[in-house]
Amino acid sequence: MGLMSKVPGWGMAMGMVYTFKRFVQPKVTIQYPEERQDISPHHRGRLVLLYDEAGNLKCETCFQCAMACPIEIIDMGGVDTKNRMHVHWGPPEQYAERREESALRRSGRPVSDKAFAAWLPIDLGPLERILVANDYDPRRLLTVLEQSQATYGYLPVAALQHISHSTGAWYSEIYGIATSYPHLVFEPGRVAEIGLCRCAACSLAGGGKVRDALVEALGIDVGGVTPDGSVRFSAADCGGDNGGQPLVTLDGQRQPGMTPDKARDLAQKLRAKSAKAANA
Amino acid sequence: MSVISRPWNRLSLAGKIILPLFLLLIALTVLLLAGWQLGLIPAVIELLAEVVRSNIDIFRFILTATLTLLITIPVAFVIIYMEMKVIAFLAGRIGPNRVGPWGTLSSVFHGFKVLAKEDFTPTGADAAVFTVAPIITYLSSVLTLLVIPFAPGLVGLDMNIGLLYFFAVSGLTVVGLLTAGWSSFNKYSLLGGLRAAAQIVSYELPLLLAPVGIIMLAGTLSLNQIVIQQSGWFWDWYVFQQPIAFIVFFIAAAAEGNRTPFDLTEADSEIVAGFATEYSGMRFGFFFFAEYVNVFILSALTVVLFFGGWNAPIDPRPILEFFRIGSLTPAIDVSSMGIWLLWVLAIGVPLLVLLIALPLWLLKSGWSFLKSLVVAFVLFNVMAIAAVTIWAFLSFEVVVGLFWFIVKTFTFVFIFVWMRGTLPRVRIDQLMGFAWKWLVEIALLNVFVTAGAILLVQELARQ
Repeated sequence: MGLMSKVPGWGMAMGMVYTFKRFVQPKVTIQYPEERQDISPHHRGRLVLLYDEAGNLKCETCFQCAMACPIEIIDMGGVDTKNRMHVHWGPPEQYAERREESALRRSGRPVSDKAFAAWLPIDLGPLERILVANDYDPRRLLTVLEQSQATYGYLPVAALQHISHSTGAWYSEIYGIATSYPHLVFEPGRVAEIGLCRCAACSLAGGGKVRDALVEALGIDVGGVTPDGSVRFSAADCGGDNGGQPLVTLDGQRQPGMTPDKARDLAQKLRAKSAKAANA
Repeated sequence: MSVISRPWNRLSLAGKIILPLFLLLIALTVLLLAGWQLGLIPAVIELLAEVVRSNIDIFRFILTATLTLLITIPVAFVIIYMEMKVIAFLAGRIGPNRVGPWGTLSSVFHGFKVLAKEDFTPTGADAAVFTVAPIITYLSSVLTLLVIPFAPGLVGLDMNIGLLYFFAVSGLTVVGLLTAGWSSFNKYSLLGGLRAAAQIVSYELPLLLAPVGIIMLAGTLSLNQIVIQQSGWFWDWYVFQQPIAFIVFFIAAAAEGNRTPFDLTEADSEIVAGFATEYSGMRFGFFFFAEYVNVFILSALTVVLFFGGWNAPIDPRPILEFFRIGSLTPAIDVSSMGIWLLWVLAIGVPLLVLLIALPLWLLKSGWSFLKSLVVAFVLFNVMAIAAVTIWAFLSFEVVVGLFWFIVKTFTFVFIFVWMRGTLPRVRIDQLMGFAWKWLVEIALLNVFVTAGAILLVQELARQ
């Protein structure tokens, strides 16, 4: 070859030979609509999150993608439909590690976040006892969840994950059940409960105005929990004995003499307390 | 009028075309029969034949010129298709495959596209010269086809100065390119035209000097005679006596035809298209056509000069004599068959179709008899065409000659395309330097060596 390369035109001839080999080789083109490339059935292309016409993220963090993922590569955290930042899929300790790491990298200090506490690892012993008592039956999920909340005071994500792993119920199912019952909460800390009676007598006594004030102050209607998880707004029953005033309860205790202004003050006070606790 | 117009309007489009044709056919038949009966038509035919016979040169000229112009169109389309397909194959792609079977019609549709585009003349351009320039380029390519022998007897004009005529006419390309560049009123076009002229004039020299050795060997300038001199086995072709001349000629031909690696005049991949910058529509199409006709003509000339033209690579006569076949006369004398010809056509064809259909019907159990009949008819046609082609190939040396000529020529067209798919473009100084510093000298040396060798052989033969 060393000698032959000195011959004029040798390189051109070799180039011609090379292209002729290509000429007789099978062609690489795939006639797309008629032929399809042989793609692995596991292939899903590149994963992207889509936005709707208004520019809002379409992803509702339902975790169906994470569950369907055969190699469990999807690890996601986000804001759920009620704007409570505790949605997560994946091992909590791993996520916590990464979160701290990224916070350190970005700001130079680890960020303590109240919402982040929900992802922390927990002692699974009591939960395991509850599960044994319920025979690991996914049909008794509500009981399990209620007992867990009674034990831990709230529903930690790690507990939900453990329930999912040990009962075989999908995380999204458990999460769906947990979010559809207002008495199940995901944050540690006490939830103040404001009750309002909506019977005809209370409504005539000005219950509608109180309700409007509370809705304005809390940002939620009856049956909901505020986004920060500090106040639950539920229905109460005066039993016909309202004393000429709309019945409002705070953690089951009657609050007599409630006016719309007072109700607003009460709600704001409760929320402010919770916010202070979060900042501490 | 409504008696005619109402049924006419009810006809479909196909009916509107077929009905007048049908009426015309009836009228023509009646006229023909009447004319034949009255003796008018034989008289007219006699008169026409007499006119043709007495002006054979003029008719031959008109016929040849028309055929020469017409033949360039399919040739250019085939070469354009071939170029697209072969370059795609060289690059590992499939190439055009959407228009027509295997994309064969895509070059035709390229032609339609060029026809449909706006024919634009820039402001300030010399409109007359601007229009004439592509015609000069095209004609200088096409007119050279006149002297190329396609097959024994199939040559437009067997000039005794055929080669000289060829180079003289193809040299006119320079005029076309220069006028195109100059008349565009654009400095880039002018520069492109000058570059093209410089390249083509430079490479004309080795292109002319390379065949001088062959002219000395053959003793004639007539291309037809040069081909006849190479008859016999393939080692009688001049390429084996003049290999250096062949290499020089082929390189010069690539430059003359503006082919890669010497396609600087209209480098496709660069922004300004040289002398053709201001051209659009069919005027550009003429340049484009001329380029591809040029490829064909230069391949044909290479074949004629160096590869025996229409001669077959093997001489069949000694083989036939060896097997004691003697003279082969496969020609069927149709005129001696009389009424039997009619019987063969009327009964033989359906019988053969049935013969093919029966085994199909019996063996392919899923097929209906009608389907097997249709398939058998198609098969019969294919076989009949193949049989007629083989018969023609064996019977007429024109067909044999044309076959070998086309095969060889398209081999060289393929090599040109192959080169285009492989080699990069050279620089203008490399291009000019290569022509003047290498090719001209090699070609001159070849002339002297050939002359010396011829003298030596003659001297040896005399002793």
